[in-house]
Amino acid sequence: MLLQMENITKMYGGFSANRSIDFSLQPGEVHAIVGENGAGKTTLMRILYGMEQPTSGTIRVDGREVTFDSPLDAIKQGIGMVHQHFMLFPSFSIAENIVIGSEPGKALRFDRRQAAEIVKGLCEKYGMKVDPEASVGSSAPGVQQRVEILKVLYQGAEVIILDEPTGVLTPLEVQDLLAAIKMLSKQGKSFILISHKLNEVLDVADRITVLRDGAVTGSVAKGETDAYQLSRMMVGRELKELNRTPAVPGDKVLELSGIGIKGSRSKAVLDDISLSVHSGEIVGIAGISGNGQSELLQVISGLMQPDQGVVSLGGKDVTGLSTRQIREQGLAHIPEDRYVWGANREATVLETGLMGHQRRMQSRGFMKGRDIREMVSRWVSKFSIKTGSLATSTQYLSGGNLQKLIVARELEQGTPFLIAAEPTRGVDIGAMETIHGELLKRRNEGTGILLVSSELSEVLKLSDRILVMYEGKIAGELRAEEATEEKLGLLMAGGSIQ
Amino acid sequence: MNKWMKMLSPLVQPAAAVLVGLLVGAVAIVIAGGEVLETYKEMWNGAFGGFYFLTNTLSRATPIILVGLGAAFAFRAGFFNLGAPGQMIFGALAASLVGLYMPGPGWLVSIAALLAGVIAGGLWSVMAGYFDARFAVNLLISTLLLNYIADLLAGYLVAYPLKDTSGSAAMAQSAMLDKSVWLPKLFSGMPLHIGFVFAVVLAVIIYVLLKRSVIGYEVRMLGGNPLFALYGGINRGTMMLGAMFFSGGLAGLGGAVEILGSQYRYIDGALTTADYAWTGIMAALLARSHPLGTLAAALFLAALQTGGQGVERNTEVPLEVGAIIQAALILFISARFTYDFLKRRKGSKSHGTAV
Repeated sequence: MLLQMENITKMYGGFSANRSIDFSLQPGEVHAIVGENGAGKTTLMRILYGMEQPTSGTIRVDGREVTFDSPLDAIKQGIGMVHQHFMLFPSFSIAENIVIGSEPGKALRFDRRQAAEIVKGLCEKYGMKVDPEASVGSSAPGVQQRVEILKVLYQGAEVIILDEPTGVLTPLEVQDLLAAIKMLSKQGKSFILISHKLNEVLDVADRITVLRDGAVTGSVAKGETDAYQLSRMMVGRELKELNRTPAVPGDKVLELSGIGIKGSRSKAVLDDISLSVHSGEIVGIAGISGNGQSELLQVISGLMQPDQGVVSLGGKDVTGLSTRQIREQGLAHIPEDRYVWGANREATVLETGLMGHQRRMQSRGFMKGRDIREMVSRWVSKFSIKTGSLATSTQYLSGGNLQKLIVARELEQGTPFLIAAEPTRGVDIGAMETIHGELLKRRNEGTGILLVSSELSEVLKLSDRILVMYEGKIAGELRAEEATEEKLGLLMAGGSIQ
Repeated sequence: MNKWMKMLSPLVQPAAAVLVGLLVGAVAIVIAGGEVLETYKEMWNGAFGGFYFLTNTLSRATPIILVGLGAAFAFRAGFFNLGAPGQMIFGALAASLVGLYMPGPGWLVSIAALLAGVIAGGLWSVMAGYFDARFAVNLLISTLLLNYIADLLAGYLVAYPLKDTSGSAAMAQSAMLDKSVWLPKLFSGMPLHIGFVFAVVLAVIIYVLLKRSVIGYEVRMLGGNPLFALYGGINRGTMMLGAMFFSGGLAGLGGAVEILGSQYRYIDGALTTADYAWTGIMAALLARSHPLGTLAAALFLAALQTGGQGVERNTEVPLEVGAIIQAALILFISARFTYDFLKRRKGSKSHGTAV
């Protein structure tokens, strides 16, 4: 028995984030912890990694009782953690990021060449490829993740905690990561995998522990369970099937013709994109991220000006208008990155929720405080957003809860057209159910929705028509009935059907 | 209780910094060969000991408050306007010119002079904003450098074309304003003028505007995350020009009330040697750009300066001790220890409910 946590309880005031949790990990084991947002997964791992102290309970490593006052203590005991949001220095090289903390060299001199050699050695030993000289900032998320894992291995970790590791990865990168986990566990490393993507968990984990409301609701071995049973244990009830009726498309709400954006090199970022979205239909855009989807959405919402082409919204040419004019013309926008575009970390939950509504909810230039509070409280209960109060700072919301707040805010704009970019990124099953239900409801009420998602299952589940983007072009269009993961995957990789 | 805590929390940080600053000041006093308690007593008396000294402190605080409010407003919107010295000088110069050359009844000239101060300071500030929006000239650098231009240009004007030739002294200064355009004093025989009332009222107005108005909301969101603001339909360019005008206008008003209420003429270097503008910017930083906090911090810093003068009058300890305390304050503010400590505690608490 490598690691054992017994009877761990963590109280915050009167609220118990963890209630008498038992958890153990064998050498070479991959143990997944699944649960909804706020179930206590992250708290438990913060305790194990020394970032929080348990209110009661013990931690044993190799049978000895230990206490961790800080992550440094945990690292000394061979426990390493890769956080959901990477903790790397973007402007430094990969080698520099990996050896940080115990750099090779004598006295004040940092031996860059030796650092690169060390990293090459690590890559070989663990079968994970990175270029030591490349800068972290210009590397893909999948590479950055490998850097994080190599860093933890370099620090001598035997136990590696991965917190929501696949959230920012493309499907291909996810495959690489899962393969790397399997390979490392064969070499004797143990993994704790926090996730709510059940298919990934079922693929890679030897054992799965389910948390709900701070307590363990089940612990099952691989092969004894399936996604359906796990999700029931997580949510605590049966999940509803999505009730999908055929779309009844109306007039065109959005039309793009010949949109182009020149890239920094010879290749165009967007190349002659034409598409339309009608009212009452969901058009899905599939594609590996980085193939122009972000730029396309920014062009539509006025955050970026195209070099060529026309965007028209509700029959009016909106190319070159300000974001405000475009919103007033009838656009709401669930942004793909909630922290970059969707929120102000320092503002309160109420203020982050108000964005886009502020000009509507005013009288003579002053905000209608009570109406605004009522509106945001309504969302908080409808989407069960877990927050201390409306005056809590946005930065203290978990990613999933912030996502729900943003979705609620944009749905409430009541516009004839909605951009939904990664609408369920990082949210749990229950919330995903709610968000998907709301999107379909809005479609049935006549809203035109442009859905962009890196989750193929989400695109397939919601869309009436699916477009695939590849290298800044639309590589193909499929009707919902004829689309399959295989066909989409082929188009996403640059192939063609037939 | 909770509400009080929340209202007081912006004051916790400055209060702690002040305390440590005073301790460091005590060391400086000992080194200068003074008696700590006696020196601080003289300092207190210089700032608040008696009605005259109190009103003197408030009068000194007046331009500092106005400049501080202007700086705080720009900081809130995310624009690092360091051009207050120049904007204040242009405000003062414009107010002097209108006060000297505009015909009409005194009260009207007085109001026109104040407005001219606001507009001159505002336009000087907007210019830097425009350079940033149009040519991507870094705002921090342009506002800073425009200070020299404003100071030297105003100095030239009062040294040559506008020089007062009536008096015997060969000072670089404009002619004296007519008594009818002077701002009324609040108490006869005391230095305090009505400009102080303007400053306090404006602090309250700006506080309410920032907290409750739509524009205030947009300003704060823009300062917090410009991309979020852009996404939500807030136009950075327009907001920048507006915020810079307002910010510079307040600095200009600070210069104008100082001319119309205290100095009655533009004297070369009088505003810069008194350090009103930088003290105002410091007040805004001390209060983390909270308008009412800026008011309090400006009063405190003014008291430190008038108190320092008191110390110099009545003890052997030099004026610079006040400056040392001020310097210590800036250092401890930049450390921001208490505030972040509170924040962390609050943070870990809500983490539990919101993981």
